[in-house]
Amino acid sequence: MEIGPIWRAMMRNKTGAILIALQIAVTMAIMVNAISIMQERGRVMSRSSGIDEHNIFVITSVGFAEDFNERITIEEDLAMLRVMPGVVNAIQSNSVPLSGGGWSMGLQTEPGAEIEGTGVAIYFVDEHGIDTFGLNLVAGENFDATDITWRERSDTDWPDKTIITRAMAETLYPDDPDGALGKTVYISDTEPLTITGIIEQMQAPWNSWDGVERVMLAPTHTLFGATRYIIRTEPGMRDSLMPQVEELLAERNKNRIVRSMRSMDEIRERSYRGDSSMITILTFTIVLLIAVTSLGIVGLASFSVNRRTKQIGTRRALGASKVAILRYFMTENFIISFLGVLLGAGLTIGLNILMIEAFSLTRIAWYLVPVAMLMLLMVGQVAVFGPARRASSVPPAVATRTV
Amino acid sequence: MLSMQNISMVYRAGMVETHALREFSLEVAEGDFVSVTGPSGSGKTTFLNIAGLLEQFTDGRYELDGRDVSGLSDTESSAVRNEKIGFVFQSFNLIPDLNLFDNVDVPLRYRGFNAAERKRRIEKVLETVGLASRMKHLPSQLSGGQQQRVAIARALAGEPRFLLADEPTGNLDSHMAMSVMELISEINSNGTTIIMVTHDPVLAEMASRNVHILDGRVSDDHPDIQIAQAATA
Repeated sequence: MEIGPIWRAMMRNKTGAILIALQIAVTMAIMVNAISIMQERGRVMSRSSGIDEHNIFVITSVGFAEDFNERITIEEDLAMLRVMPGVVNAIQSNSVPLSGGGWSMGLQTEPGAEIEGTGVAIYFVDEHGIDTFGLNLVAGENFDATDITWRERSDTDWPDKTIITRAMAETLYPDDPDGALGKTVYISDTEPLTITGIIEQMQAPWNSWDGVERVMLAPTHTLFGATRYIIRTEPGMRDSLMPQVEELLAERNKNRIVRSMRSMDEIRERSYRGDSSMITILTFTIVLLIAVTSLGIVGLASFSVNRRTKQIGTRRALGASKVAILRYFMTENFIISFLGVLLGAGLTIGLNILMIEAFSLTRIAWYLVPVAMLMLLMVGQVAVFGPARRASSVPPAVATRTV
Repeated sequence: MLSMQNISMVYRAGMVETHALREFSLEVAEGDFVSVTGPSGSGKTTFLNIAGLLEQFTDGRYELDGRDVSGLSDTESSAVRNEKIGFVFQSFNLIPDLNLFDNVDVPLRYRGFNAAERKRRIEKVLETVGLASRMKHLPSQLSGGQQQRVAIARALAGEPRFLLADEPTGNLDSHMAMSVMELISEINSNGTTIIMVTHDPVLAEMASRNVHILDGRVSDDHPDIQIAQAATA
């Protein structure tokens, strides 16, 4: 290998090499941190909401006529929906996970206005709630029909039972989350609720909330004017049932409008649209950076080949085979790229520390740095192959040309 | 040593054919010092390129050191160049970014010598050309004559069977030219076969044999330079 002479020759003509090494280093720092952000976003996006998302859709009914009876409409709608072929179950609820809109209150283990409650997302459901959402009740029991209360917008009373998620139990009772069942918690400072059940997992409507898995179910029907139905179907039936349900609800009662029908898949997509866009932009940025870096390598190598045509011819005349010339340029690029990725490793970690401090991002995964180093070394070798091949085709007779 | 029989070289550019060498034949014996002269465009450089395996010829037969080198692959001809031929170019062709040591080292690395052997050879040839003390200098820090001495050292480092010199004094003043020619003569006196292309009749006279090329053919071949001088007169 000619590493020594290549290095010494490069050091006498180093501006181009330094610029390319810096470009590789910056590309690596941005690329690795961008991938780390993408991984983090990906992790957030892939979290389970705890419900049977693929088979659930949502539709909203809003009464507008003066003689519109919301309670009767809800009861009749639910009765009709629950017996529809292909429907597993249906409920009325104030919100759904990932929708971005819902209720939250504070739950506390002791009564009193002076005590700060733990934030919790509230879903108003009836005894069909657990089945409709597809939740896993891990302790206690479901609500029954006699537990269900009706709540108007101006009401402040709360039912006396609640089912909470395991994450909420762990937050309320960090020392004994399994002992949460049967305990009394307080809402609105002093309203007591008995924990009658614990579900394994369910997400709040707000995906970026740090307490996203702190959820409680309250056995309540709401009379808020707009009624949101959550409908769970048999697997594969959702898409065909959606238009049928919309049409049936609209036809059953002409004193209301039916709107905002969305599948949970669509709600998830809308919920993470910003994150998806960020991943797309970052991916594009990474591809662009790698392309620009590759072009830089191609440019430097091409310039180098053109500048050294006579030198290449001389080397060929002195006995260098085509392969030896190819290897010379590949080795030269490898040295530049290696310096670039070494510097890049330092820059990557430095940038990551800055981003952790400034934006509370997570630390990059340990393997990203070596993987990125290897990848950029490979990109460099691929990029330089064309110019190196061109160099190897310089005929040895060039050595005797005087112009 | 070197035997060319009916060598033809035709350059084709589109529909245009240029005959650089026409049925060119030449025999060079071991230990010869042959000067090759001729006007511009006569085929001197083409002959040199073919003799040095820098170019493939169109037709004919070429034997170098008893081996038919007519159809060698690129790798084979590179190896033959490296082992048997030393080149000295008109504009020295030193690599400007490498010091003298590394410049002389270039053909030795292609030869595959180990580091100790390369170092021994480099120091020896730089000593021969009187530049051992400047082996860490760059070519740009030397005069033209010194640069050509380094080029000769590079050509000699691999102990080639013969030396091809293309206008080796073309870029030197007369004083430096004579100095370089003395060195080349000395190398020849040590047994290395030399073929030197030159425009300069005075330098050509320093060889033991002169071959004059005209229109791609050997027009005069004087095995004894005295005869050549007589013919010129």
